[in-house]
Amino acid sequence: MSWKHVCNIDQIPENTLKQFEIDGISIVIANYGDGFRAFPPYCPHMEEPLAGTGLIEDGVLTCSKHLWQWNMGSCEKLGMAEKELLIYELKCDDDKILVNMEKELIYQYDEADDDDDDFFD
Amino acid sequence: MSAKNHKQWKIPAFEQGDYVDSRIYSDQNIFDEEQDKIFKQVWIPVCHESELPEAYDFRTTSIAKEPIIVVRGKDNEVRAFLNVCPHRGMRIERRTAGSFSDGQPSGNPKHMTCMFHAWQFDMKGNCVDIPRAKEGYQDRLTKENVGLRRLRCEVRFGGFVWVTLNDKVEQDLEAWADGAFECIRSAIDTEPLEVFHYHKAIIDSNYKLWHDTNSEFYHDYMHYHNRVTGFNDEYFARTNKGFKNGHVNVNSFTVQYGEFELGESREDLSFPGFPPNQWYMIDLFPGMNFNLRGSALRCDIVTPLGPNKVMIEFRGLGLKSDSQKDRKTRIEHHNSIWGPFGRNLHEDLLGITGQGASMQTGSEPRRILHGRHENNLIHDEIGMRHFYDEWSKWMGRNPSDPMDEQRKVLAAE
Repeated sequence: MSWKHVCNIDQIPENTLKQFEIDGISIVIANYGDGFRAFPPYCPHMEEPLAGTGLIEDGVLTCSKHLWQWNMGSCEKLGMAEKELLIYELKCDDDKILVNMEKELIYQYDEADDDDDDFFD
Repeated sequence: MSAKNHKQWKIPAFEQGDYVDSRIYSDQNIFDEEQDKIFKQVWIPVCHESELPEAYDFRTTSIAKEPIIVVRGKDNEVRAFLNVCPHRGMRIERRTAGSFSDGQPSGNPKHMTCMFHAWQFDMKGNCVDIPRAKEGYQDRLTKENVGLRRLRCEVRFGGFVWVTLNDKVEQDLEAWADGAFECIRSAIDTEPLEVFHYHKAIIDSNYKLWHDTNSEFYHDYMHYHNRVTGFNDEYFARTNKGFKNGHVNVNSFTVQYGEFELGESREDLSFPGFPPNQWYMIDLFPGMNFNLRGSALRCDIVTPLGPNKVMIEFRGLGLKSDSQKDRKTRIEHHNSIWGPFGRNLHEDLLGITGQGASMQTGSEPRRILHGRHENNLIHDEIGMRHFYDEWSKWMGRNPSDPMDEQRKVLAAE
């Protein structure tokens, strides 16, 4: 286990997200009112930076680009979301937020790999 | 001799080809035809690969008024597409150049996004996202059914990016150039080049008048600098050489930079294998110019905007490996001749601006002389005649008689 001190509770006001760099790994911490969540900084859909354009309200995280949503309490996907969020283990120690960052969580984005360079032949 | 009106202005010994009718520079129909019959059919250089050095970099441009985007993929390949969304015909990218690497308010990182309805495309032109596709199109349309219109694209001749709108183009780029670049090939293809200068001019003149200027050296009488650094036996021994497809090049001579006040030899900053202070010039149909002079390569790309309006983009290039100091010197050399305030280029622009003033749409037609014959030597106007032979093939018009008037008169007689 590799628990890292990412930030303190008072750095993340309710219903906000903030991005941190810890040992070269980018991570977002979200305060959804009933607790905190830690996940990779990009939407699993199309790499939208969630700390910039993600919204939290009533315990639901919404990526404002294509309106994918997740329940922050249960981490289940909602509405238009087609992929699960990858979630880091998180615990609070007094006012400290600690995240288990043993391994970076990375989404596999679809990339068309068909070689179409004989397109015109 | 007394002044003459245009009807009297006939030169008995001049044959068709030794002059053109000024309406080829001013007629709207001829302009429209040129866009379809020439510019949409042939290879056009649109930018240089050093302008999109990293994956996800892009450059936008146009050919014959079709918006074009050139992008570098994750696999480092440069590809070209129409910069047009297949949904509602919106131009996708408005910026001139930049990177898709980072997200934008209307788009995600590593994708091209149409800001209108957020259709998204990858660097290969595949459509990768249509918002609420299922709800609106059910199974009638999926992202696999659409994509960007891909264009033929090659990176060649010193790293320039060439595009053609013609999917069925008969000749690849190498065949199209027909060896016109061989005289400077090793100089520009031995190591990577890099653009260090860009400016553009939008002039009330016809694009062919610019190419004419680049295709004849007789106008060195306009350039004090060229007269004092040239106009010697070696200069007058230079020859014009024609290639297939309307291209021409002019062989080199040694520029005497020392003859000019504050002149400085370019020998220390030559291109690979290029003898010091030489000057080669390549004119490519239908209006591009590559000019390797001493320590800098210049490239002119014309975009015709109307019969009497042209955008000319000027690029200056050096070696990518230049040290900071060498690059600074190279830029000084380039700008002192070809910068917007240099000794040469703005004078050429004055020339075609003056021509444009007399050849506006509806201006009185007159003969424009291309009739100097001097054994293909430097002041022979063979370069222009070679160009118009080619123009005539693509257009199905005789540049000396573009409205078919003389032929009809002769036929009636």
